[in-house]
Amino acid sequence: SFSSPEEAAAERRRRKRQIRIEPPLSALNRNQQPPNQNAKSQSPPYYLNPSNPKLPEHASALTGNRLNLHNRILTLIRENDLDEAALYTRHSIYSNCRPTIFTINAVLYALLRQSRYSDLLSLHRFITQAGVVPNIITHNLIFQTYLDCRKPDTALEHFKQFINDAPVNPSPTTFRIIVKGLVDNNRLDRALDIKGQMDDKGFGPDPLVYHYLMLGHARNSDGDGVLRLYEELKGVLGGVVEDGVVLGCLMKGYFLKGMEKEALECYQEVFAEGKRMSDIAYNSVLDALTKNGKFDEALKLFDSMIKEHNPPAKLAVNLGSFNVMVDGYFAEGRFKEAIEIFRSMGEYRCRPDTLSFNNLIEQLCNNGMILEAEEVYGEIKGKGVNPDEYTYGLLMDTCFKENRPDDAASYFKKMVESGLRPNLAVYNRLVDGLVKVGKIDDAKSFFDLMVKKLKMDVASYQFMMKVLSEEGRLDEVLQMVDMLLDDNGVDFDEEFQEFVKGELRKEGREDDLAKLMEEKERLKAEAKAKEAEEAEAAKKRVGSGILLTSKLFGNKEAESESTDA
Amino acid sequence: QLNERGSVQEQALPPSIVDLTRFCSEGKVKEALELMEKGVKADANCFELLFDLCGKSKSVDDAKKVHDYFLQSTFRSDFKLHNKVIEMFGNCKSMTDARRVFDHMPNRNMDSWHIMIRGYANSTLGDDGLQLFEQMNDLGLEVTSETLLAVLSACASAEAVEDAYLHFETMKSKYGIEPGVEHYMALLDVLGQSGYLEEAGEFIKNLPFEPTVTVLETLKGFARLHGDIDLEDHVEELIVNIDPSKVVANKIPTPPPKKYTAISMLDGRNRIIEYKNPTLYKDDEKLKALSSMKDAGYVPDTRYVLHDIDQEAKEQALLYHSERLAIAYGLISTPPRTPLRIIKNLRVCGDCHNAIKIMSRIVGRELIVRDNKRFHHFKDGKCSCGDYW
Amino acid sequence: AASEFTRMREAQVEPNNITLITLLSACAHRPSQTTISFGATIHAHAFKHGFAINDVKVGTALIDMYAKSSRVDAARLVFDQMGVRNLVSWNTMIDGYVKNGEIENALKLFDKLPTKNAVSWTVLIGGFLKRDCYEQALECFREMQIAGVAPDYVTIIAIIAACANLGALGLGLWIHRLVMKKEFRDNVRVLNSLIDMYARCGCIELARQVFNGMTQRNLVSWNSIIVGFAQNGLAGEALSFFHSMKKEGFEPNGVSYTGALTACSHAGLIDDGLKIFADMKRVCRVSPRIEHYGCIVDLYSRAGRLEEAWDVIEKMPMKPNEVVLGSLLAACRTLGDVELAEKVMKYLVELYPGGDSNYVLLSNIYAAVGKWDGASKLRKAMKERGLQKKQGFSSIEIDSSIHKFVSGDKYHDEKDNIYSTLELLSFELQLYDFVPDLSGKESYEED
Repeated sequence: SFSSPEEAAAERRRRKRQIRIEPPLSALNRNQQPPNQNAKSQSPPYYLNPSNPKLPEHASALTGNRLNLHNRILTLIRENDLDEAALYTRHSIYSNCRPTIFTINAVLYALLRQSRYSDLLSLHRFITQAGVVPNIITHNLIFQTYLDCRKPDTALEHFKQFINDAPVNPSPTTFRIIVKGLVDNNRLDRALDIKGQMDDKGFGPDPLVYHYLMLGHARNSDGDGVLRLYEELKGVLGGVVEDGVVLGCLMKGYFLKGMEKEALECYQEVFAEGKRMSDIAYNSVLDALTKNGKFDEALKLFDSMIKEHNPPAKLAVNLGSFNVMVDGYFAEGRFKEAIEIFRSMGEYRCRPDTLSFNNLIEQLCNNGMILEAEEVYGEIKGKGVNPDEYTYGLLMDTCFKENRPDDAASYFKKMVESGLRPNLAVYNRLVDGLVKVGKIDDAKSFFDLMVKKLKMDVASYQFMMKVLSEEGRLDEVLQMVDMLLDDNGVDFDEEFQEFVKGELRKEGREDDLAKLMEEKERLKAEAKAKEAEEAEAAKKRVGSGILLTSKLFGNKEAESESTDA
Repeated sequence: QLNERGSVQEQALPPSIVDLTRFCSEGKVKEALELMEKGVKADANCFELLFDLCGKSKSVDDAKKVHDYFLQSTFRSDFKLHNKVIEMFGNCKSMTDARRVFDHMPNRNMDSWHIMIRGYANSTLGDDGLQLFEQMNDLGLEVTSETLLAVLSACASAEAVEDAYLHFETMKSKYGIEPGVEHYMALLDVLGQSGYLEEAGEFIKNLPFEPTVTVLETLKGFARLHGDIDLEDHVEELIVNIDPSKVVANKIPTPPPKKYTAISMLDGRNRIIEYKNPTLYKDDEKLKALSSMKDAGYVPDTRYVLHDIDQEAKEQALLYHSERLAIAYGLISTPPRTPLRIIKNLRVCGDCHNAIKIMSRIVGRELIVRDNKRFHHFKDGKCSCGDYW
Repeated sequence: AASEFTRMREAQVEPNNITLITLLSACAHRPSQTTISFGATIHAHAFKHGFAINDVKVGTALIDMYAKSSRVDAARLVFDQMGVRNLVSWNTMIDGYVKNGEIENALKLFDKLPTKNAVSWTVLIGGFLKRDCYEQALECFREMQIAGVAPDYVTIIAIIAACANLGALGLGLWIHRLVMKKEFRDNVRVLNSLIDMYARCGCIELARQVFNGMTQRNLVSWNSIIVGFAQNGLAGEALSFFHSMKKEGFEPNGVSYTGALTACSHAGLIDDGLKIFADMKRVCRVSPRIEHYGCIVDLYSRAGRLEEAWDVIEKMPMKPNEVVLGSLLAACRTLGDVELAEKVMKYLVELYPGGDSNYVLLSNIYAAVGKWDGASKLRKAMKERGLQKKQGFSSIEIDSSIHKFVSGDKYHDEKDNIYSTLELLSFELQLYDFVPDLSGKESYEED
């Protein structure tokens, strides 16, 4: 931390002064005081106005109508009507009751928790444009979003800008988010840099940050790195680490170095007096045990965690504990028990999310238990969770493996019908699988379905053309070319044309392509001319309309008659 | 009514301190001021009442008048009343006036300093409050537990988390002030108001005493303020656990999140992004907007102003036509989603017509424009005139 | 009546004041050269017998007669000579000024008037209204409220009309509430003007409510609601009111037909429009006026049937105005019919060689057919001759006060916020692929 309050204050003022035109302590010098200071402080700064100071609004701004708006939006969020919450927030920018940054943060947070990243970024883009000044929570949410989206570089760019320009200080949470996100994105080096920055800024050592970094080393199988960080933490904390959150990673470090004895000694510390064990701390230890062949110990620990669990006051197990145990049982080949323990989590007030469902289904699929996987899939909706693209992709792939192409296709279909958006790779696997078992018609019908939605690439087009051509369905190939020429997304270049000609040549129809393209050019030129004409006409219509229609029906008279009669 | 009463008084007896006291205790500032204008002299009790009243009504003008009478009175050297004056100006959020009084006070006591710092804190001028505290330190004044509270409220106002912790620690070490519950609450306020929600949650877990319902309710309030519904729900459970009567009736159950980021232990395994990205769907307007933003050099945090055209063209593009000005003024003067009615003496031009159509969708309002010929009811991006006019 | 009077004089019967007043009001009713000179004779007669000075009623009748005959100076002379004046004489004199457009004199006299009644105020309000000074009318009404003079139904009708013109819905609603408390709450004319006001404020639903709530309606009520719906672009509603009007036994007049035809042309209901037009001539024997022909031309033009539209113009019994020709021209341009456009244009120039609007039109036509030289030459000529287009302004009512804006206006208190809101809007518009039409500066009609 800073060595003195004065130092901290100086740093804070330095950040704020960048954007304040008047000196912050102008009140000390009466002569400089603007005369209408009262009026100014009473009316909240209107943040649409670019000349207003760009400091985030203070909590005291949330009163009156703006507070009512806040509560209204919070209700919408609870009703899970996030579209309306975001829309109403936007609409309120264009009103006399502008949303505070607090209300906007509430919506951003809700969008993040539903993984609606593009909606989140779009709203953030909008409020930035509208001149709403973000506060530390907004920044944290944005870092989290980019990191969740696997865009660590964008997150870092934003962070850099934030450190340089923002009139607010980072909070310990900021560093936690960034360090954890970087580690999860395999950017341990950058994560360590950020921790360095944290030290430089005078933040005290945060065991959670150390935990993330140690985890990063453990994932890289760098046992020395783990131990080095632990020693460092111990050093700065004066020899004792009360927080148990680092124990799991420390154990992993020892295991990596083959120091099983030390690892198990470390495990005993879990039960030591004065050790603070949170659910996260427990899970980390649990994970260390299951991943290093100490499943019996893990079971014992899990039992004692369950006994300690007393929500809401003491949370000793959480969803993560069950995920770890599921993985542990699978590693032991005890599949039935894995499913059982997964299903039991409700008894401990834990709810599975899509990710843990996917995990279970994946484990089952990998172990050739497709029927059980499908059974679990059937339970998803009942738990208030929605399967995602990954769930369907998993089931589709497994069905192909199990030689059930029709079921594979139907999973794909269900995914598209439920509004999910598989990407090109999944689609390619589907048509490939179908073609391999000779289901050309099915493959073509999926092509027709998806070509309207997805932006296909050259390879996807050519794959389908090749298949059709091999079946001698050249007319359909030409139809595809026709469609392709309408779609501006794909470049129908010479190479591509050669490919099509090559296919057509098999039946000596290579001239058909040229004909088709000529006809297409002609139609396009026609349409273009017409469009230009219309645009011109519309422009002129704009130009002269008023005189053309004004007083069209002698309105003056109608008016005077209706009032004077 | 007022004049009537005044004239009756005049006719009967000259108004007296009795009347003035009555007005003051009845909270009638205006009437009291009128009597004082007529020469009735207020006593200390009256002044004290008036200072409170003006502070409550937050009327700076009244406050200044009362202060003027006070300066002419015989009580003008009473420092207790001076403190009251500072408090009054502080409540009126007029810290310049408060400061003037403070600076001219012949005798200040500790209360004067505290009242000043708290005044700054309440007027969202926490930084000035902290600066004053530094002065106080320089003068070597004895700091009390009361001082710490005032300083912490200034920290909350300035969103100065580090300062708060440092002051908290120094006062313990330097002045031997043992922090009480109220100090911990004040520190919680600093964290909550500064948006340090997670830190506030941990702070409560590590309190040297069992968190009370009051402490938890404070945290719940901050969770609501910052829109963290998960924290709000959790704290609510904790509260009900302590005091079952606090259970919230008709609570809408919070929808489960798509994934529990912090606790799932499956962080490396989430591959949904690979499945979704970089998929481009043809109907994905948002992606289009975002990518066009990127082309235009959009970087987070930068307000971006129509980069792709020069200044003159920009003016043209914005086309400050009168109907647009009227609409913009209407927007910022009325509640969201209420219709606006604009009247134009000439015909709406084609560009504006098209623009207003889209505006109606962007702002989520019905925009009704009457031009010299007919009505245009713009709604959801369409116009009732069917684009023919 | 004049000859009766002469006979009376011949019969040596002295006309009394009642006779004179009757005669004067007869003269005032139909002002013309003869009636004025006859009125002057009566004036002379009245003067001889002292009526003009001593009898208030005769004096007032004289003022009225002169004022209505555009001889406001003479009226003032009578007023000044009058020995006794009552409130009616004052009001008549003020009204005289107002009717002759001398609002300043009216105001001067009004200020001198010691006690003012509702009529005095109403006369003044009406004067402002006639000169399109709606804000002053409302201001005047406010002063009247402050003065504690209760408005009568004439005042109310005038104020509602002012609200309608300004789009002052807030005040309009207030007036409506006021009306509901007054004895004239069922007055058909008051309610008609409320319908008109709501329709012109774009609150067509409120207009409908007033209409539905009326215990009795007259032709104007029906016309107001039909025209209201038609103007608000709700053709179906307008036509259904038009039909139920006939069902309830009201004979539609020219205005009703204007409303119905406008509705048809709005919705492109060409067959319905033509049928209504035919019925109008044959069944109802309403002879079509230019605006009706205008609707038909518009109807054909929208349907792309330009030849038929031209045919209507050629065959209509009156000279086409620029509006009618203009709607055909617009269609010519939409359909690219340059030939017909030039024909129409030539006709237009012949008909109306003066006036800025023709120049604008002409220049736009040139531009439309690509003759940019012609277009720019014309605009130059227009500038040289000092022809100025009308300044455009837009207004909006916020909290019962009207805020007016002109293009690029920088005078409003909230200008910074207004402009930054607009900037944000423009930015958002771009995201919606809205491309501003930069040719806007070339078109002259806009502000």
